[in-house]
Amino acid sequence: MAELVMAAATPHNPLLWRAMRDPMPDDLAAVAGNFARIRETIRELGVDVLVVVGTDHIRQFFFDHAPAFVVGKAAQYHGTYENEVRTFGMEYVELTGHPELAEAIAGRELLPEAIDFAVSHEWRLDHGFVIPLQYLRPELDLPIVPIHTNATLPPLPSPRRFAVLGEHLRETIAAWESDARVALITSGHMATDVGGPRQFAGSPDPEFDADAVAWMRDGDLEGAVDGCRFDRVMAAGNVTYQYVNVITALAAMGGRPADLAEATESRFASSPFFMWRKPA
Amino acid sequence: MTKYMIDKFMRAVEMSDDAVSRYVADPAGFVDEWLAGGGTPDLPTDDRVLTPEERDAFAAVDHAALYALGAHPYLLWHFIEAAHTHEFGDGFGWRDLVERYRADVAPHGHVDYIP
Repeated sequence: MAELVMAAATPHNPLLWRAMRDPMPDDLAAVAGNFARIRETIRELGVDVLVVVGTDHIRQFFFDHAPAFVVGKAAQYHGTYENEVRTFGMEYVELTGHPELAEAIAGRELLPEAIDFAVSHEWRLDHGFVIPLQYLRPELDLPIVPIHTNATLPPLPSPRRFAVLGEHLRETIAAWESDARVALITSGHMATDVGGPRQFAGSPDPEFDADAVAWMRDGDLEGAVDGCRFDRVMAAGNVTYQYVNVITALAAMGGRPADLAEATESRFASSPFFMWRKPA
Repeated sequence: MTKYMIDKFMRAVEMSDDAVSRYVADPAGFVDEWLAGGGTPDLPTDDRVLTPEERDAFAAVDHAALYALGAHPYLLWHFIEAAHTHEFGDGFGWRDLVERYRADVAPHGHVDYIP
């Protein structure tokens, strides 16, 4: 059977792409260091496949159809979009999918309880997926199963359902007839406002950030679910809901305390870095 | 429907280098050209409608007006960033645009941007 050997959560701030270069600026050294720490763990544990839980930024999934959860079943993915090449200096990339694991996750018959997966066979991944992968596995040689969570376009899935997603991933991977070693990566951020009156002026809600770290540091799954009520999260910033992706990682790890739990300061915002080695 | 069309227009521009260039060169002309496009036998649902107020806000590249009209903030910021990047130089750059944008939208507080 396959084994879920680790989980991690990282930021996907594309502004890092131009700024985090050698010689490393002092205020970005800690961010670069945490990406490196997770990157080395993926290498050390001999990971074969990455399940990446992130949120498309109204690029692939617009208001004309905005599913709650989407599992990528494609054999290949393109990334990114020309607007992100233009604005962030990102590069176009090609990524390999893992249809077999994707099918195990999405199923063929009935939807899992409390989840309503859609599937996608043609998906262009934006910076929410590409940026973490480029920092965590620059070779881009590991196959991936991308899972989109709607954390942007209300009505949003409740935080409880992100926890159910994590439990479903853990159980599915454990039951998958394969000898693959699987890592779960979630992509998101701390309190963040983009396009609102609090954008790029430091954290719009340091109190939320502190709570958000504590839930993972303490393994407080119920606290995280309760603390991520819609009104509270949106009060922390108009795109803060992407933090809720971390709940998926915590649940997948059986709700145990993270081995790394940090809101890393930088010039842009506080960056989430969480990591667990092996489920509880 | 109206907020949806604001967002649809912004996305159509920002996702394409060519559209950004044409919008920057002639905002009003581009808006009217976009409105004149739309559904075809192959794309029967590609509706394009803006109110006169929305059309004028896009023609004037007026980010404060668009914010107040309910443009999705995330899409709006990236749309405005795309529309002003060509102005960046020694005297005006990304951080200046951030400050100007923030100052202009702040008086409107948190608007309802859900279509």
